[in-house]
Amino acid sequence: MPDFYDDDARLTRPRIVALALSAALVALLSLIILTAPGDLERLNLVARERLTESGVANPVTAVLLNFRGYDTLLEVAVLLLAVIGIWSMARYARVWIKVPDTPVLAAFVRLVLPLMVLVSGYLLWLGADAPGGAFQGGAVLGGMGILWIAAAVWLPDFQFQRFARVMLVLGLIAFVGASTLLLALEGSFMEYPAGEAKNWILVIESAAMISIGMTLMMLFVGGIPRLNEGTV
Amino acid sequence: MPQDLAFWLPVVIAVPLMAAVLAFLLPRAAFPISLGAALITSGLVCWAALAAVNAGPATHTVGGWSAPLGIDLVLDGLSGLLLVLTAIIGLAITVYAHGYFQPGDDLVKQHQYNFFWPLWMFLWASLNALFLSADVFNLYVTLELLGFSAVALTALAGKPTVLKAAMRYLMVSLSGSLFYLMGVVFLYAQFGTLDIRLLSAASAETPTLLASAALITTGLIMKSALFPLHFWLPPAHANAAAPVSALLSALVVKGSLYIVLRLWLEVFYPLADTVAPQVLSVLGVGAVLWGSLQAMQQPRLKLLIAYSTVAQLGYMFLLMPILLKNRDDSTALAATMSFVFAHAVAKAAAFLSAGSILHALKDDRLTALSGLMKKMPVTTAAFAMAGISLIALPPSAGFLAKYQMLQSALTNGYWGLVFVVIGGGLLAAVYIMRVLGPAFKKVEPYGAESTSKAVHVPLVMSIPTLALALLAIVISFMGVYLLELLAVGTPWVLKGGL
Repeated sequence: MPDFYDDDARLTRPRIVALALSAALVALLSLIILTAPGDLERLNLVARERLTESGVANPVTAVLLNFRGYDTLLEVAVLLLAVIGIWSMARYARVWIKVPDTPVLAAFVRLVLPLMVLVSGYLLWLGADAPGGAFQGGAVLGGMGILWIAAAVWLPDFQFQRFARVMLVLGLIAFVGASTLLLALEGSFMEYPAGEAKNWILVIESAAMISIGMTLMMLFVGGIPRLNEGTV
Repeated sequence: MPQDLAFWLPVVIAVPLMAAVLAFLLPRAAFPISLGAALITSGLVCWAALAAVNAGPATHTVGGWSAPLGIDLVLDGLSGLLLVLTAIIGLAITVYAHGYFQPGDDLVKQHQYNFFWPLWMFLWASLNALFLSADVFNLYVTLELLGFSAVALTALAGKPTVLKAAMRYLMVSLSGSLFYLMGVVFLYAQFGTLDIRLLSAASAETPTLLASAALITTGLIMKSALFPLHFWLPPAHANAAAPVSALLSALVVKGSLYIVLRLWLEVFYPLADTVAPQVLSVLGVGAVLWGSLQAMQQPRLKLLIAYSTVAQLGYMFLLMPILLKNRDDSTALAATMSFVFAHAVAKAAAFLSAGSILHALKDDRLTALSGLMKKMPVTTAAFAMAGISLIALPPSAGFLAKYQMLQSALTNGYWGLVFVVIGGGLLAAVYIMRVLGPAFKKVEPYGAESTSKAVHVPLVMSIPTLALALLAIVISFMGVYLLELLAVGTPWVLKGGL
């Protein structure tokens, strides 16, 4: 039975054979894809053509939140599922924090946290016209949460769990709720009313950003936050 | 609010998805929320299937952006049949799980109970989304959702063996998804679209299509555990909690199987004359033989049932050559789908009975089952009925499906398959009798603690088990309706390049 945490890196004969076969497969696939009479521009052109109807000026945001917003809805579900999956396996998060012996880190974190909130909000807003949006903003928020914990300025305890649950589901609730509401209003799941797309997208993205940030933070915690209950 | 069918398609995805969120947010109300969602989803799916039979296939344009820019949801015969199957089994398992995970005072059990509901609702939503999607990239996202919820549900049982099995399952599921995704990249590189119908219209036999078909098929049969890529299935399915085993064996492996069928019928059909369909068929033969032989040797009931799944999955690939080469003859597809339906219902019933046995006896070694009929008459009867369908004795659903398979194989001159189908049934009889033989014994040879006293199984567990088992027998009487549903939209017969 293979061990998944195998760190044996010797080049045994079966491994060399596997390596050679993989290399051959990569070469073959590369050859096929490089000689294929591609049509990669077609969808790109269609998307750019209809960009003005999407409510945003950044084609990436238009695809993620409008044209193929349904994909993103399911991806937001995957993120929530990741945390639920981890919580289902780890009933208690480890208590992993050693309070840092220098006050510098704590002071630095106190200084930088408000700035990170500001940056995440800015990134979200920026997403309408330039690279940015809920995922980038959420990443900054998540980083903020991790810094917060790492500096032991504050540690997530059991009470925090309820707050975390709400923040975790916010994005998916906003996404599914808005899409269903739009289904009732416009007759199509996630069909934004003409000219109002930007507002809807902004609401969904704000909620998603908060959830993404909390998701990343909870992935770092690695289990149900429960500070004073000992370690398992 | 419009009453047309297409309007309601996203609702069968949104309802379980919302239920998953709420069940996570409000753990104390998780069961009522999930049961409510299960009832609404099942009702809606059955209504939609009936409506589709009368009104034809339906397309919902998500976001109002039609393909190729946006994503469409399509309900036709193939997807409708699997949605109905999921609804029936999903409802039964929802009820059963409430009894099985009953927490009492146990904190660990409480934890399992709390997390089962959101994960199961995510799984249901992902299955519905998968069956309805008409976009190959969107299918990838649904596969991820399906894979992660299935792995988390497997790991829920918490024992070291199951964690190891779940870890392996995760690795297989992830690599399967990545193979699939790479195949999607190839499709997009050549045809510039992700919509299945547009791909179908543009499809042509090129090296890119061949590479894409190879990557996608490999990834998906890995996820569907087709022999010899089945190695991960028995430990995962046998060690998971019984309701989860039933979900995995009855429904989850069918998700990737559905994509194989859909894509080969609609996109990869120019490759039907290559050796690929034969290869799949031969692997199917291997699965029937290997899975059955392994099932004959297993010491534990749940492992036996899991290996039976390996064997039965083989049948679903047997008719691939006929299915893909004679696309004007839909008997092969009908037979395969009948088999999928019959297997799912019987296998769910078998795993749920095994769960009840394990629940009552705390032991599922075959040696502990002697005299079981007296102790647990309802559960034993349910298992026997499921077994009859797995062996394919008349008038069970399994019999009807295999009859259709034989008919299709004979009319198309595939004589070899006749032996496999009949031989596989005999092998199934052997391993099912390993369970039923001792169970119906009157005298108990090793009567130490296992007295003949009846053992209590809560009604919430025995009723859904029995209902599925009965269905495994009587569904053949409803076969006509299922075939009528399957015929809705028949895209592979009427369109494409042939």
